[in-house]
Amino acid sequence: MRQYSHRMDALIQQLYADAGSLTQSVAVFALGGYGRRELCLHSDVDLLILFAGVIGGEDERFLHAFLNPLWDLGLTIGHHVREVAEGAGLEADNSEFLLALTDARPVVGDATLLDQFHGAADVARTNARTLEALKGLIAERHAKYNGTLYQLEPDVKESPGGLRDLFGAQTIAKLTDPLLLANGGSGARALEDAEEFLLRVRSVLHLEAGRHHNILSHEVQERVAERLNYAGSTPSQRVERFMGDYFRHAKAIDRSLRFALKAAPAPIGTNLVRGTDGIRFIDTREAAERPETWLALFQAALDGGCAVSDDALTCVGQNAGRFAAEAFCPTTRHREVLLHFLKPRPGLYARLSEMHDCGLLGQMFPEFKAINCRVVRDFYHKYTVDEHTLLTIRNLERLVENPVRDRERFGRLLGELQEPELLVLSLLYHDVGKWTDEDHTIESARMAHQMFERLDLDPHQRAEVDFLVREHIKMSLIAFRRDTEDPEIVRQFAQFVGTEERLKALCLMTLADVEAVSRETLTPWKEELLWRLYVDTYNHLTLTYGDEVIDREQSLHSTLLDHRPDDVSVDEVAAFLEGLPRRYLQLFSVEAVYQHVRLSRDLAPDAVKVWMTRVASGWELTVLTHDRPFLFSNIAGVLSSHGMDILRGFAFTKPTGLIVDMFHFTDEERFLELNAEGEGDLLRTLTDVVLGRADIAARLRGREQGVFRRKLPGFAPVVHCDNESSRRYTIVEIVAEDAMGLLYRVSRAMSESGCDVDLVLIGTEGRRAIDVFHLTRAGAKLTSAQQADITGNLQRVLEGRS
Amino acid sequence: MKLIKAIVRPNKVDDVKAALEKLQISGMTVTEVRGHGKQKGHTAIYRGQEYNVSLLPKMEVEVVVPDSMADDAIKAIIESARTGEIGDGRVFVIPVLESYKIRTGEREA
Repeated sequence: MRQYSHRMDALIQQLYADAGSLTQSVAVFALGGYGRRELCLHSDVDLLILFAGVIGGEDERFLHAFLNPLWDLGLTIGHHVREVAEGAGLEADNSEFLLALTDARPVVGDATLLDQFHGAADVARTNARTLEALKGLIAERHAKYNGTLYQLEPDVKESPGGLRDLFGAQTIAKLTDPLLLANGGSGARALEDAEEFLLRVRSVLHLEAGRHHNILSHEVQERVAERLNYAGSTPSQRVERFMGDYFRHAKAIDRSLRFALKAAPAPIGTNLVRGTDGIRFIDTREAAERPETWLALFQAALDGGCAVSDDALTCVGQNAGRFAAEAFCPTTRHREVLLHFLKPRPGLYARLSEMHDCGLLGQMFPEFKAINCRVVRDFYHKYTVDEHTLLTIRNLERLVENPVRDRERFGRLLGELQEPELLVLSLLYHDVGKWTDEDHTIESARMAHQMFERLDLDPHQRAEVDFLVREHIKMSLIAFRRDTEDPEIVRQFAQFVGTEERLKALCLMTLADVEAVSRETLTPWKEELLWRLYVDTYNHLTLTYGDEVIDREQSLHSTLLDHRPDDVSVDEVAAFLEGLPRRYLQLFSVEAVYQHVRLSRDLAPDAVKVWMTRVASGWELTVLTHDRPFLFSNIAGVLSSHGMDILRGFAFTKPTGLIVDMFHFTDEERFLELNAEGEGDLLRTLTDVVLGRADIAARLRGREQGVFRRKLPGFAPVVHCDNESSRRYTIVEIVAEDAMGLLYRVSRAMSESGCDVDLVLIGTEGRRAIDVFHLTRAGAKLTSAQQADITGNLQRVLEGRS
Repeated sequence: MKLIKAIVRPNKVDDVKAALEKLQISGMTVTEVRGHGKQKGHTAIYRGQEYNVSLLPKMEVEVVVPDSMADDAIKAIIESARTGEIGDGRVFVIPVLESYKIRTGEREA
């Protein structure tokens, strides 16, 4: 059979050469039994003819010139013709083809085309689909034979315990675990013997029948027993002995197949399977040379809620030292995958611990090696620095699902973080500086900067991680050692953290860090102190920032001026900043501020400057114009009318009437993606609506009706009026179920009540919208009656009663 | 002997400890406690919703001093823990009848 396969190879190579010139790369691959070089005398010759590009007229001519002689020779050809690009839909291809492909072997032409074909495919899904298809075909075939291998006239190929079962078991092993059949069932040796026996019998059958015939009928049994030199004085004795061997081998195959079906791990990724002992590599030798694939091993375990298997950890452990940190995340995509991996969720601590124990964590993050088993003697820490660090991450992940009583409030904060993976990255680095006895926060931040370069973090990500690492003990010092009932302490702390996002991250970092010191360190008492500082600071940041505006003196001395571009004058910057809340400077980058300065130059009363930029998690829209009635609700309405989901945003109004609004939103309905003119259309509509040239209400009506048809929200909306926190504004806080057009409806209700919407902070937490509006009416705070009036109006709007 | 039990603001514990150490009083017990005095806690607002802060975090400092030093110790605690605002805390003085060292069983006067 091997020799016959070689001869067939030579024939195909000759016909390929004689078939004429080629306009593109083409290759011929042997499939199935021929691919395994087990071509029986009258077996089908299964071929895959793969073209690099689109098959054209010239290629059709080539195909005919190549295949016709094979048919003329009387061979039964099973041919599949494919283009490389079709690999992308491979998992949906027919199941027999998928199975045949598992034995594909290049015969002639550009052998790399098969790699390209597979490269375009989703390997994990294709493997899973192949496995499922194989299981289905086996069950179907066995049913035809009533599920028993003890057939009096068995088909050596199709019957249970026949060659198809043997190849089925081998394919399962190939797709899941190459050593599978050596570890259970009948064992590798028994299978080799069975294969040899059945192939010999099949060859005799083909020879005897002179055609593709695989059934061992009674009369054929005698001839086969004789040809295979079975001893016995009568034909029935020889047949009895021969069939005895047949059933022995068929049983061996059946046993191994049953084992393979039962014990085969499930394919779950490229070169990855899930077995009873966890996630492991299918081919450890291949994995050993590809460190950039290792993170997928741990990600798969995280996704599957299981461990990484011991042999996979051993493979990683034995090879990790051979590679530099860059080898694990060589491309932007790999670095994104790493950050995704670090999102806090149950199991992250366990996976990071596995990575640490096998030496991978230290290779990926060399700075972490500095604290490997590091002992710092003090009165409170109970674990080595590396374990303390990993425990902080465990504490964080415990907030994600079913946090213990009183921890739900911290769990919600974690859910609100835009990039919680940055918090995990910060925790991973917060104590790396403890390798030295100097101030560890400064050293940790210095070491983190080395990681920033390797992971190519963007400036915002660097700033967030640097802040958290450098200042990770600040909040505990204030919460536990300072008088947090003193508003001045809270004010200073609020100024120090600057934004709610940083406050939440620092609060969670403090909680996780203190709890990881020892089991006793984070008492409910300390937890309460921390929460109160968080609440007071959050309230300060969201409720009183309107009182803290940039005055002339501050604007002239802003650090912004140090980097002032040539086309912007000091006076221009100072004039622009004056009167804006100080928070403005914390929410916009230096570049954005200069852009605002430029665009606000000589801004005519009826002019609107509006632009959009694509950001990592959606879009940002910025509007610069002069204040006018219903401005904020109109902008929110235009976004909602285009199906945009507003997640975050800010609105600032200067005493001069200049407004700067920024909305962060996602395009849930893919309007911008599917419409080439979508961005221009949205901006034009927005300008028209803002300038009063178009009405947004009609456009939104249809969508609003859809909103009101929704079933009632799971929690009652909260509207809270606060006339105490700010000297200048009445503050309205709204917490409600997020819905399309919500921001439009509530801000419109405010404007209809005669209020000026001067400052707004928009936020969302899952399905919950958390919006804070700073209002005035005729330049003053609202009276009690006006507050009652607007609260009632808002409640009606939120409950869908108006 | 007197047992002085002082309920103070958490951030004042270090000051109280320093003031007592100046008087050569070094042995003390510090406990995290929660409670309220006349201030009866207060109502805080988070995201538009009220939540009750009825029990405030405080620290309890306990020292046992000879009768002769009790007045100085009380004075030191009050001076070091005072801010002048509501919620500064309380000092309780309790007579101690007997005191024993557990290690030796020795009775102290």
